[in-house]
Amino acid sequence: MSGAPRQSFDKTRKDGKRVAGQQDFGVPGSGGSSPQSKLQNIDNIPMSQGGQKKQPRGPHVHDQHITGTSIGKRTPLVDSNWKMTGQARYGDDIRLPGELIGKILRSPHHYATIRSIDTRAAEALKGVVAVATGKDSVNSFGVLPVTKDEHALAQNKVRHVGDLVACVAACDEATAIEALSLIEVEYDILDSIHDMEDGLEDSEHPIHDRGKYHIGESNIQKRVFQQFGNLSSMDEAAASSEADWTFAGLHHGFTEPHAVVAHWDPTGRLTVYTPQQVPHYLHRALSSVLDIPMHQINVYRTFVGGGFGGKSDPFPHEMCAAILARKSGSPVRICFDREEVYWINRGRHPSRIQMGVHADDEGRIAGIETDALIDGGAFASFGHVTTYYNGVLHTSPYEIGGFHYTGARVWTNKPASGAMRGHGAVNSRCAVEVGIDEVSEKLGLDPMTFRLANLLPPHSRTITGFRITSTGMRECLAKVREQSGWDKKFRNLPFGRGIGVGCGFFISGSGLPIHWDPENFPHATVHLQCDMDGGVTVHTGAAEIGQGSDTAIAQAVCEVLALPLDMIRIRSQESDTAPVDLGSYSSRVTFMNANAAIRAAIDLRDKILKATWELIGYHPDQLVLGDRRIYYKHDPAIGVSWLEAVHKAQADSGSLIASGSYRTPPMGGVHKGAAAGLAPAYSFSAYVAEVEVDAETGFIKVVKAWAAHDCGKALNPLAVEGQIIGSCHMGMGQVLSEEMKYGRNGHLMNPDLLDYKIMSVHEMPEVVPIIVESNDPEGPFGAKEAGEGPLLPILPAVCNAVYDAIGIRPDELPLTPDRVHKMIEKKCKELEIDDPLELPNPSFEPSALQQKISERAEEHAERDLQRDLLKDRTAYVNGVLFGFDPELPLIEQDEGWREAITPEQEDLIEDGKRAARAWKHAERRHRGDD
Amino acid sequence: MVDREHVQMLPKPPVSKWQAEVNGLKSEILVESNAILLDVLRDKVGTLGVKRGCDMGTCGCCSVLVDGEPRLSCLMLAEEARGRSITTVEGLADGHHLHPIQTCFAEAGGSQCGFCTPGFLVVCSALLEENPEPNKNEIKDAIEGNLCRCTGYQQIVEAVEMAAEIKRSDESPSNLTTPSSDPHPVGPDEPSLPPGDAR
Repeated sequence: MSGAPRQSFDKTRKDGKRVAGQQDFGVPGSGGSSPQSKLQNIDNIPMSQGGQKKQPRGPHVHDQHITGTSIGKRTPLVDSNWKMTGQARYGDDIRLPGELIGKILRSPHHYATIRSIDTRAAEALKGVVAVATGKDSVNSFGVLPVTKDEHALAQNKVRHVGDLVACVAACDEATAIEALSLIEVEYDILDSIHDMEDGLEDSEHPIHDRGKYHIGESNIQKRVFQQFGNLSSMDEAAASSEADWTFAGLHHGFTEPHAVVAHWDPTGRLTVYTPQQVPHYLHRALSSVLDIPMHQINVYRTFVGGGFGGKSDPFPHEMCAAILARKSGSPVRICFDREEVYWINRGRHPSRIQMGVHADDEGRIAGIETDALIDGGAFASFGHVTTYYNGVLHTSPYEIGGFHYTGARVWTNKPASGAMRGHGAVNSRCAVEVGIDEVSEKLGLDPMTFRLANLLPPHSRTITGFRITSTGMRECLAKVREQSGWDKKFRNLPFGRGIGVGCGFFISGSGLPIHWDPENFPHATVHLQCDMDGGVTVHTGAAEIGQGSDTAIAQAVCEVLALPLDMIRIRSQESDTAPVDLGSYSSRVTFMNANAAIRAAIDLRDKILKATWELIGYHPDQLVLGDRRIYYKHDPAIGVSWLEAVHKAQADSGSLIASGSYRTPPMGGVHKGAAAGLAPAYSFSAYVAEVEVDAETGFIKVVKAWAAHDCGKALNPLAVEGQIIGSCHMGMGQVLSEEMKYGRNGHLMNPDLLDYKIMSVHEMPEVVPIIVESNDPEGPFGAKEAGEGPLLPILPAVCNAVYDAIGIRPDELPLTPDRVHKMIEKKCKELEIDDPLELPNPSFEPSALQQKISERAEEHAERDLQRDLLKDRTAYVNGVLFGFDPELPLIEQDEGWREAITPEQEDLIEDGKRAARAWKHAERRHRGDD
Repeated sequence: MVDREHVQMLPKPPVSKWQAEVNGLKSEILVESNAILLDVLRDKVGTLGVKRGCDMGTCGCCSVLVDGEPRLSCLMLAEEARGRSITTVEGLADGHHLHPIQTCFAEAGGSQCGFCTPGFLVVCSALLEENPEPNKNEIKDAIEGNLCRCTGYQQIVEAVEMAAEIKRSDESPSNLTTPSSDPHPVGPDEPSLPPGDAR
């Protein structure tokens, strides 16, 4: 026995009885790396279950499953030692015997038709085993079933520089590169489009043809119109902010370049090893591209060296590897160099967003008008969803009088944009939060109080019908206000130094899975398997991409079963062994998979408790799970070890298997597009940033950021903090330095990490992560997402801080010194000032309204608390603040109230809006001329 | 089709025997004279813990120690490392005893996706050899060549501070096993005893 004799912690009550959970039992004989049972930590068990953990927002449905084992404890990732020792195998680390190296020939032109490809010389080169072109793969694919517009290799058109034309497999890399240079391709160059506004117009050669669904002859891939509420309230606004934003495109900047290994095994099955966030979509796409049934494919997710949305599409190079492997009969490995990573892109859309925010004379948000034109690049990717997200994801956390959104996504001859952390919500969130800052200034209000007086309460509905369950928005704002010293600093800092606030709102799992109907098929399934050794193997398809999904699921299981973490084994890599899962996107994994895992664990626990009942004669209601020991509640000395109970249960029913699944409850509206942005829960966040701006050079330095995020319940605070700080890093990159720069001819100028400026350790300021727990009623143990939402508020917080510092509201990101310098020059000219240091420092003089809305904020705080504790169960919908009755449809209460998803004739005459112009075209099927 | 003369892209470079000490083991292989150290380490020596992120010295994922000095293996010819001692992330641990920097990275959350981690670990271990008590700025200076996209660096700096403290205090770990022994602690005294009767 190692170590010194242990001190006994046995506790007895005054009457001599032993206290449950506080007994020190020696050897449980049940595996695990520590031979001694641990005491249960009653600080981690909620008060409603007899522990000491405070529950400020009342009890949760999972409380009775909390054993104090793991939830809420700072837990290093379960796979961290693999990473620490260099043994974690990422895409390019999969080395199979007899492998060939695959290389891809890419288009040098933005837009061209392929007249001919001659591969004879390449095939003849010694060492080349297989060459493939578009002819080898004619089936299309795409991440969304409605927009399958990609091919493994170009069919007859190349649509952007870097589009895939042909690929080769050779004995080594040098030979493969050599072979590429021997492939002769003749192109007929077409006129390419690079400006997203050109995409709105008719074109001679639209980049894609969607048949009868094609919109005009233009390059519009998707258009969205949404109008909810009464627009006339916007016209009568007391204060308005109008801004026209330009956001540069962004890349995820993950450190691991894409890589894939494909291998057809001797039984004719294909295994694809790839760092994928969404292995299931790849599974489907491979099946349709290769024309083989899905059961013949095993998608093996390797360790993923960063995803952030950039590894969530099925990629053409993955198909290429499979095609080359089939042709050559050997495993084929393709690894991208850094430049190729930018050619495949799928980063944040370059966008132009016109944002109008209007407030009435009572300090309410009368309306938000958004027009978002987004540049999709050459393919659809997740574009349908992005187009919706740019609008619908800023209808909360505030109560608004009206919402008007026009959005369009156009194809251009650039590498395709796609999903990136904070998918679709980031840019328009920045614009709306800056607008709110401006209207509160115009009304003479503190922006913090203005926000606090306009929040939707818990258990309410947004204007477009999203169901808000828990919200910690108020607490987030209160915490950053206090910790940042907001009240002392706001508008009181010297010129060149400023402080700003921003809020965020994000989905916690998409309510509608892309490929199936949730009514028929659950969102997530988890299987548990427990054998003689007492350890529990978890089979899940949730893709661990570094965010800690394996850890979260293991924690959920070990919490219910009260087992040490090292007795839980996660098998999440292979589609052969994992139940179908939608993968790591839309911040769904913790919410959906941990919920499924809890259900599976409860199932397993019940089997074990039943066996214990037979062993010791006490009903499961009277049994408590301790660390590898199950005992009688009223006398902890009566009990069995975990292993004994497992063996008994196995004797009764064979091996122990349990399964659990999760599906979302019915929710949301019925209009077209209602499902976009629908989620079982939403996360909220509020950040304050303090910046220094050098007015002479335009250089911005973020000094410190306070970041409060409502994640429902931090299953693993270490991981949540990591997500918050990491999100700040990525968001600050977007606001200060990162952009995909396209030159005058439309060529991407910075496809490398030297010119694509990711923040280094020196630029990264201190971030104070603040975790707010709103205890979501449906989240696993109350948890919501923490991966994407935390990115949103940092952009507007920095922009608003820049205004506080120098009195200039930015409308273009990133705020590189050259841009800021230009803004300062312009402002100086306007004000006829020579020295930028003499620019006026913004000041704040509270208006008469300030007192009134501060009182309203206090009233609302009390209202929210009552609703949180379910003491107030009345209905609440967006509009109550404006005097509507939540029990009746708003459309019946106000003549001017409109809920529309297609524009009427008068909407089209409009004004200088951009994306709205997409509606001037008719779809081919409606034109009647074909 | 246009007739054009094909010039071979890569002339075959001469191959010679290359030897170096990688993680304490002598490695003797044939390499091309123009081979990059990163390729040699990954493809020939088999230390796949060394990561390829950018091939141009911008990300730091491929950092290794050459004679104890941090170097970017993607910008170094294998020739330069001939006969020298190379440490990769695989060489940091002593048997199953992890280097303090490895333990602390995991515990502080200094690694999420883990792809940049090998680079950070070797660079930080070199820092701790040279400077047992680095302050925040010194740590930042040491890792300025490494990019991390997940963590935002904050926890990495904390991890280095934690590791420095452990290393300074020179406390032997509570783990009494030897590095080369069975990594799992001893099992229960008498597993046959029913639980609760153990003592």
